Amino acid sequence: MTSKLTRRQVGGLAAGALVAGALPPSARAADTTTLVSGFQLPQNLDPHQVYDVPMQAMMLNTYDNLYRYQDDPPVIEPWLAESHTVSDDGLTWEFKLRPGIKFHDGSAMTAEDVVYSFQRMLALALGPAGAFLKILKPENVTAPVPLTVRFKLETSYAPFFAAIPSVCIVNPRVVKAHEKDGDWGKTYVASNDAGSGPYKIVSEGYRPLEYLDMEIFDDHFLGWKHNPKPVRKIAGRPTKETSTRVLALVNGTLDWTDGNLPADQVDQINASKVAYVQKDVVMKTFVVRMNNKKAPFDNINVRKAFAHAFNYEGFIKEILAGYATRDPYPQPDTLWGIPKDVKGYDYDLAKAKEYLAKAVAEGAQIKRPIEIHVQSENEQSVQGAQLFQSDLAQIGLNVKVVGNIWSNLTSSTAKPETTPDMWVHWVSTYFVDPENWVGQMYDSQFHGTWKASSWYKNDEVDKLLRKARGLVKQEERAPLYEAATRQIMADCPDVWIYNSMQLQGINKRVKGRRFCTVGQGAEVRWVTLEG
Amino acid sequence: MARFVLRRCGLVLPSLLGLLIITFLLIHAVPSDPAAAMAGDAATPEQIARIRAQYGLDQPMWRQFLVYIAKVVQLDFGESAFSHRPVALDIFQRLPATLELTFCSLVLSIGLGVPLGVVSALKHNAWPDYLLRIFSVMGIAVAAFWFAIMLQLLFAMNLAWLPLRGDLSSTMTRPPAITHFLVLDAVLAGRWDVFGDALRHLVLPSITLGLGGLATIVRFTRAGVLDTLQQDFVFYERAMGYRRMRLIWVFILRNSVTATVTQIGLLFGGLIAGAVVVESIFDWPGIGSYTVNAILTGDKQVMLAVTLLVGAIYAGVNILVDVVHGMLDPRLMDRA
Repeated sequence: MTSKLTRRQVGGLAAGALVAGALPPSARAADTTTLVSGFQLPQNLDPHQVYDVPMQAMMLNTYDNLYRYQDDPPVIEPWLAESHTVSDDGLTWEFKLRPGIKFHDGSAMTAEDVVYSFQRMLALALGPAGAFLKILKPENVTAPVPLTVRFKLETSYAPFFAAIPSVCIVNPRVVKAHEKDGDWGKTYVASNDAGSGPYKIVSEGYRPLEYLDMEIFDDHFLGWKHNPKPVRKIAGRPTKETSTRVLALVNGTLDWTDGNLPADQVDQINASKVAYVQKDVVMKTFVVRMNNKKAPFDNINVRKAFAHAFNYEGFIKEILAGYATRDPYPQPDTLWGIPKDVKGYDYDLAKAKEYLAKAVAEGAQIKRPIEIHVQSENEQSVQGAQLFQSDLAQIGLNVKVVGNIWSNLTSSTAKPETTPDMWVHWVSTYFVDPENWVGQMYDSQFHGTWKASSWYKNDEVDKLLRKARGLVKQEERAPLYEAATRQIMADCPDVWIYNSMQLQGINKRVKGRRFCTVGQGAEVRWVTLEG
Repeated sequence: MARFVLRRCGLVLPSLLGLLIITFLLIHAVPSDPAAAMAGDAATPEQIARIRAQYGLDQPMWRQFLVYIAKVVQLDFGESAFSHRPVALDIFQRLPATLELTFCSLVLSIGLGVPLGVVSALKHNAWPDYLLRIFSVMGIAVAAFWFAIMLQLLFAMNLAWLPLRGDLSSTMTRPPAITHFLVLDAVLAGRWDVFGDALRHLVLPSITLGLGGLATIVRFTRAGVLDTLQQDFVFYERAMGYRRMRLIWVFILRNSVTATVTQIGLLFGGLIAGAVVVESIFDWPGIGSYTVNAILTGDKQVMLAVTLLVGAIYAGVNILVDVVHGMLDPRLMDRA
């Protein structure tokens, strides 16, 4: 290690160049027992209060679920439950628990604990509860015999099974001991461990959004035979700034980043001797919403003009450096229930002008400035909107890009009159089912939620989606989703752009990582650190 | 003295109330719905409506304000819409980290800034003065995020002398949080390894945060000393045969730092505000990064509480500055 800076190095510093490849290798002593993870932390640690991508990354390590998504493409596999059955009418579901499962405090997990967990999730009515509240009453979750949990649904709802991995099983003995005024232990579980997962939270090792330390749980029900040299400690150290994240990765103080590395960092990291960028296609679609209840988007030809005015390939190739796949459908093109024969909309300004002329002939008012709202802190949403703005200007449309934040945007979608003309967002995998995308985005019963913020309504589509939701077998549901998607694409309520590619910086000493789109590869139980 | 301090404190309360009213109105003018934020991404309209009723968010704004005031006087700042944790608890755990950082920055700024300002004045229009003037202009002008990255590249990456980010190495176990000041907790627990590691982590963020203050103090001290050097009493005391060092560091400096003390008071508030950027770059677990997150997520309860807290700190420091002024020049206290 040199102790003097050369003139060239000083010049490089002054210019602010991040020459990752020239930087020295790991600046810390190799510790093969601790994995330093840069995944974002959830807003709190209670899996019944929060359910988003950072929570998925945390709960896969600290909690267990009846079933769990594994691998890529995701397959739903028995986890705490060893099997399940469903009645012909799709109303009664029974899950048989494995025997001998222990919580982190050493107590045995029972079917009653699973019942408590679902009842708690429903009572709190936050996070993952959205998928269950309409179809499951707390008293209809029961444990008729030891090690069996029964769910009696209000109506047949096939995505119920797909959403089962979103519910974590908590230890009622720990939670009840910390209840205050009937709060279901909400404050305690927000900062503490109540799980049974392969890693347990270290006391004093948590500060919200800043750090989270976990240590191995040797008595995890799956054991550790599959990984003879597991990571003993996970140090969750989310980094907020991209520059710090990249520097920490290439100097070896971070073993992996989250999956949101900007595309322009890929070459720098790959040039380093310490780390590389792993690319994984994830089920996370990027979409520009149009408010179909507001003029001029109440006119189908205006919507089609907009859909033809987005430079899909240019955006993906130039701005995202190719790290995304063009997805013309409302859901990820790797999912079932897609009419593959439908091509979708391409970038063609001549066609856009034709549709616009038709719309004007039909009386559409296109002269007013149209607002497209973006998430200011997210560079990519801003760049996408600016690109769209410049192409729309070429066909004579006046579009204004408006910076906003996620909570404002989602709040504004409660009513058609407050929903922006257009806005840009992603739809992540909350559960792997078309219901997560087309079901909740285009069934009019979800109007008022951010997912259904295009305010699209087509009675035929509503019927198809509701019928698909009520059936249990995938082979019966798939044609219905295909038909619904075909009609939705013909009506063009939104501009569907791409399916994401996750870019995650990983230290070369990390081995055995297994990727699944749910949790974005954050499950550490498979991982070994090479010395 | 006591009357002077009490009178100053009495003036602070209406200021804080005014701050609270303005902030409350401004934050509520933003068209976001805290209930929607609290309910989460997958919430149904029914979930959101239930939360709105539960937290009184469906009440008229004046009633919400009165309820808020009643809670604030009991130091209850409500619940974060995102963490679902009491805001007071989050602040209690995070503020010490920011104060540690701010304190170190201030010590650095004063400890270096005052002597350098004196040197600059004494070497007026000579090369040390020119150098220090260039440095002070650069120190004020340079962007904190750029300077932070430069420090990280030099000291954490190229030289590997200091840690890149965070307040403690990831391989270390934290001592029990008694005061939530990591350095103090390490001492109380007898964890000298943590103490040393925590101090090393403080260096780069402290320098980044303290640079602007250091430059400001150099300039104000220089100006004050230059002004004092022209005073008659300096000629008199010089003629009396006082030793040069005593003359400079006692008589001249004491009469030169009134403006500097005022600046230090303002700087302290500025440092708390500056911590927003510095904490984000260095992943420092204080209220700066907490505030950034609250702004980005629209967490109104947190924004209100942090604004009020920073206002209270500002007011407290200003009272302290007034007291120090009074001690330096008792005539001011008499006039007040």
